[in-house]
Amino acid sequence: MSVNSTRTAFFSAIFIGGLLTLSFAGHTQTPPAPRGVIRLKVRYKSADGTKELVRKRFFLIKGSLDENKALADAIKQTTLISRECYYRSKGASERLIKWLDDNDCESVYCRAIEERELIGPDAVPEFKSAYDLALRQLKTPEVARRWLPNYLPADLRDGYYNLKQRTIEGLLKQAGALSAKPLMSIMTDRKGTAYLTDIEPGTYTISNLVPSESDKSEILWLCEREVKAGDLSIAMRRPFILSNENDPKVKCEVIVRRLPVCN
Amino acid sequence: MKRPFIAVLTIAFALAAIVAAQTRRGSRTNKPATQNRPARGTPAKYSAFLHSSDKHKSLACNDCHKIPTVWNAKRDFPDVADFPGHDACVRCHRPQFFSRPAMSGTGPVICTVCHLRAAPREAARFAFGKPNAGDQSAKPKDERQFTIEFPHDKHQNVIARLQSPRLDPGLLRVSFTPAPDEKRADYNNCTICHRRNDELLSAQPLPAQDDQFRKFFKTVPRSHDACFACHWKNQKPINNDCGGCHKTASTFVPVLMPKRISAKFSHEGGKGEHVMECTTCHINITRAASVRGLTPDVPIAACTTCHKDNKKTTYPKVVTIEEEFAQYKTTNACAYCHAPDVGSKKPPASHEAAAQ
Repeated sequence: MSVNSTRTAFFSAIFIGGLLTLSFAGHTQTPPAPRGVIRLKVRYKSADGTKELVRKRFFLIKGSLDENKALADAIKQTTLISRECYYRSKGASERLIKWLDDNDCESVYCRAIEERELIGPDAVPEFKSAYDLALRQLKTPEVARRWLPNYLPADLRDGYYNLKQRTIEGLLKQAGALSAKPLMSIMTDRKGTAYLTDIEPGTYTISNLVPSESDKSEILWLCEREVKAGDLSIAMRRPFILSNENDPKVKCEVIVRRLPVCN
Repeated sequence: MKRPFIAVLTIAFALAAIVAAQTRRGSRTNKPATQNRPARGTPAKYSAFLHSSDKHKSLACNDCHKIPTVWNAKRDFPDVADFPGHDACVRCHRPQFFSRPAMSGTGPVICTVCHLRAAPREAARFAFGKPNAGDQSAKPKDERQFTIEFPHDKHQNVIARLQSPRLDPGLLRVSFTPAPDEKRADYNNCTICHRRNDELLSAQPLPAQDDQFRKFFKTVPRSHDACFACHWKNQKPINNDCGGCHKTASTFVPVLMPKRISAKFSHEGGKGEHVMECTTCHINITRAASVRGLTPDVPIAACTTCHKDNKKTTYPKVVTIEEEFAQYKTTNACAYCHAPDVGSKKPPASHEAAAQ
């Protein structure tokens, strides 16, 4: 074999090897499709001024408001009893209604029940009865207090929360049937902010699906947002503000209703 | 002319094989090692209990696990605090306990499923879940056969509500530093389940190398107490529905801590007080429908809420991401948040974007 042919073979091998490596790397390292982020900022104007909507869940649904018209109509037609009216209808005491209202709770699981809520002027009668029952079975006062929700009647424990969830699930099923993509949901923080990350660019409907109670009214948002590829730092600079005030730049349908007076 | 062609082909294949081997090695995920289970029919078979065997699967959980066990001697709450009684095993496995082959050698190997040794008067048992006593031995290997099904988002729906810090209306304390006994703001009740990790220090002894996790991470519920507070009765899944939360896993699932990127970050003070609400930084946490694959990742952009501009009249002055970039240019290290393993690498593009 001549020196020339050996050299040719060597360089050919390197060339082919290089091609193979490049094609393999190209095949395995396909750049990920660009994604988008929405920084949601939800606020509402009330008699006391503008406030952030705290700890409410919002849902992201693929498609514009027009594309989701059937769902939007269903959302608008859905009625849900207010928290206060629900608990009053179940015979809850004024103390329990206040306890729920003070912390914007939909169920008694919302926060730990403290000792002062069992005895003394702040005591909630339902909690006291459940505590007595729990103590008889569990023997230990501390465990009885912590496990007290197990001994409350179902309606007063989480009846309203379950009712609301059933309504949301019904609407989500409808949304799922209409939209090819899975839904995403996120809860606003104490500043009314929430991030919807890793979204495929496109047009989306953003809604709380059932009206959120705030002070003396309930607010339903049905908004549309076009998501472009971009990272979190861009989204942080340009929040998508949902408000109950008219904003011509935002395509939103906001329905505000006064909370009913409960009998 | 034929020889060089064969040589070229051989070298090309060799190169391709090397590339393929390298990439396969790279893409191989760190799959948890499956348990070394003894083969069926061997004497050692009964040294390991399998919930997934056909016979065991056909039973209800409370056929063996009595709920609660003698709880007041073990825990301060009703719990499944110990292994099932002898009857649960003996009613099917009499030969494995009392036959001549079983009694030969060191004794019935089936005893070691629960007991430290296979001896007639051996009462000492391994810890069943959480140890009942400080000196109780854990099993030599993690024989976890279940994963936990926990819908995080549903729990946040009911729990994560605003609980403002209760302030004394008569007094307004003015100080730059919080008093040692001052209660931290409990913004969203995440603390119902996730507490300062030093609270469990004594209850959960960790190897020394895990000290950093102890220092930085919040706790997660590790006993039934947290679950039974709501799921003891009435609220499904209730105490006797073990399968409501514990789903059988075919492979051994080790408990892994999330990888720490910012090893110098501290939830509790450290270089500064991180007093923001949990979801201000853990921006995806309210979205997660399961704890499986849930990683409490915090994007750098979340840090910019405070660490972008130090012109504000806060005290102590915050270190900005921009300052850290300047530092990196001179020292090749980002040392404020990161340990050298991460801090010596080139900052990613996300950090640059966050600093702008």
